[in-house]
Amino acid sequence: MDTIRELLGDHHRQCDELFAAIEQAIEAGAWDRAAGGFARFEKAMQQHFDVEESILFPAFEARTGMTMGPTAVMRSEHAQIRELLEAAAEAIAAHDADEYSGYAETLHIMTQQHNMKEENVLYPMCDQHLAAQSSALVMQLRDGIAG
Amino acid sequence: MQALLSYDQSPPIEAPFRFFLTAPVFGILAGVLLVWTGPGAFLSRWTPEALALTHLITAGFMLQVMLGALIQVLPVVAGANMARPQLISRFVHGAITLGAGLLASAFLTFRPWLFIVSSLCFIVGGLLFLGAAAWAMRGVPATGPTITGLKTSVSGLGVTVALGAAMAFGMAGWFDLPLMQLADIHLGWGVVIWAIGLLAAVAYIVVPMFQITPAYPAWLANWFARFSLAATGVWTVVAITGPDAAYLIAALAMVGAAAVFFGVTLSLQRRSKRSRFDTNQYCWCGAMASMLAAAAIWATANTLPAVGEWPGWPTLCGVLLLFGGFVSVITGMLYKIVPFLVWLHLQNLGGGVRMTPNMKKIIDETSMHRQMLSHFVAVILLLVAVFRPEEMAAPAGVAVVVSQAWLAWNLWCGVSVFRNYRNRILEKLAVS
Repeated sequence: MDTIRELLGDHHRQCDELFAAIEQAIEAGAWDRAAGGFARFEKAMQQHFDVEESILFPAFEARTGMTMGPTAVMRSEHAQIRELLEAAAEAIAAHDADEYSGYAETLHIMTQQHNMKEENVLYPMCDQHLAAQSSALVMQLRDGIAG
Repeated sequence: MQALLSYDQSPPIEAPFRFFLTAPVFGILAGVLLVWTGPGAFLSRWTPEALALTHLITAGFMLQVMLGALIQVLPVVAGANMARPQLISRFVHGAITLGAGLLASAFLTFRPWLFIVSSLCFIVGGLLFLGAAAWAMRGVPATGPTITGLKTSVSGLGVTVALGAAMAFGMAGWFDLPLMQLADIHLGWGVVIWAIGLLAAVAYIVVPMFQITPAYPAWLANWFARFSLAATGVWTVVAITGPDAAYLIAALAMVGAAAVFFGVTLSLQRRSKRSRFDTNQYCWCGAMASMLAAAAIWATANTLPAVGEWPGWPTLCGVLLLFGGFVSVITGMLYKIVPFLVWLHLQNLGGGVRMTPNMKKIIDETSMHRQMLSHFVAVILLLVAVFRPEEMAAPAGVAVVVSQAWLAWNLWCGVSVFRNYRNRILEKLAVS
């Protein structure tokens, strides 16, 4: 059985792969492929945020009593990343490679530093505090990110 | 619990930027020194010019960025926030800036009071930083190789500063110390445990992250810091007690481990999924290749007497390691960190994505790329100057001044974008 850190950390890597495929499509001028790739990437990101916000964060908050701690910061960063996803989607729709590249770079770094905080701090804390319900929680999270 | 409580506190932008913007000033001074003093810096690693130049880069350029980046990075990777980051950064920055300037002057003039005052600056700045970092990281569990690596490298900084300060007091005539032997130990701890250790700890995260590569192999990430620390510890003991053969074996283990890290990093970068290389990736690749070359030259010079007898090899290693390696990789990192921090802080002011320029509009990409090329030209001229110091020292110095001034300009452009947009956002928020 995976830990929360392993499961969601691996899903971060899968999202990175989807992100890289969009860049490669745009570099090749294949805008249809880029749009399809972006739709898959956006869906994976939204599913990831959704399972965290609806399953993992509430469980952590209920266990620790902290509602204004790390989970609040993660929620606000999710909101920033969602805004960047919207801006990048518009650039793809407009076939504007320069604009996409600027938003994509920002989105990429923002997402990576967010992932780093989750993988190095929040997920280990979740694994520690939610150990008793870990197997049920991991199954729920896995189902959620599988769509 | 410390990590939990301090999770959302990001240091103010001035805290890291103070260090980042000062670094190229020391780079410019290093170039000016070469133009001013001519070939002296290339004749031996022990000339006053070479010692001043080395410390302008290590205790000036590199230390500034490494400490500034640590203040920024500790909360993100370890959840370890420094208390009062603004105050700490102001004092640490003041102390190490003054210390590096005075230390370079001390090497050039050999005035005892300059050695004393500069070492006091580093002791104060070092203790303040180490104390604040240790306090922030207390209770942070070593949940991965990066946190282990950060802790090891910061302890290496402590040893480096302590040995450097002891030598400075020795140079001032306070103690009778075996300075040449201590200088090698100071160099070993400073380069292997502090600088390469920090680079590796950061690389485990940023190379896969920025360049979308596979992760570092677990055997390397888990063992590099421990192995380097053990090898350097053994090397330090045998450096004092002998015998020579054990000293060479321990030194080969230290350099060999570093070379494996450089080689693995280069191999990961070849597997990057990014569609094209950006300035950051070119800087990383150039740096790793240069450092690998330095390690190969060091190993050859220490095992083949015919090469070891050539007096120029330590200088060649120094140029490849410091200018080709550390200055290159730090430049590449600044070009990612500075635009991102500008963007992030504008966002946090309440600008939102639509009112904030994206990262590629903060420092012009073409200007970053051309500055990087100018830096690589400077590295090549410095390498040529090792072989032809009389003719090439001054041109190499001019190239260093140009590339470092350009780096400073690019970073200031980022700051200027931050100020403009901050004012616009604050005006809009005031109106609404």
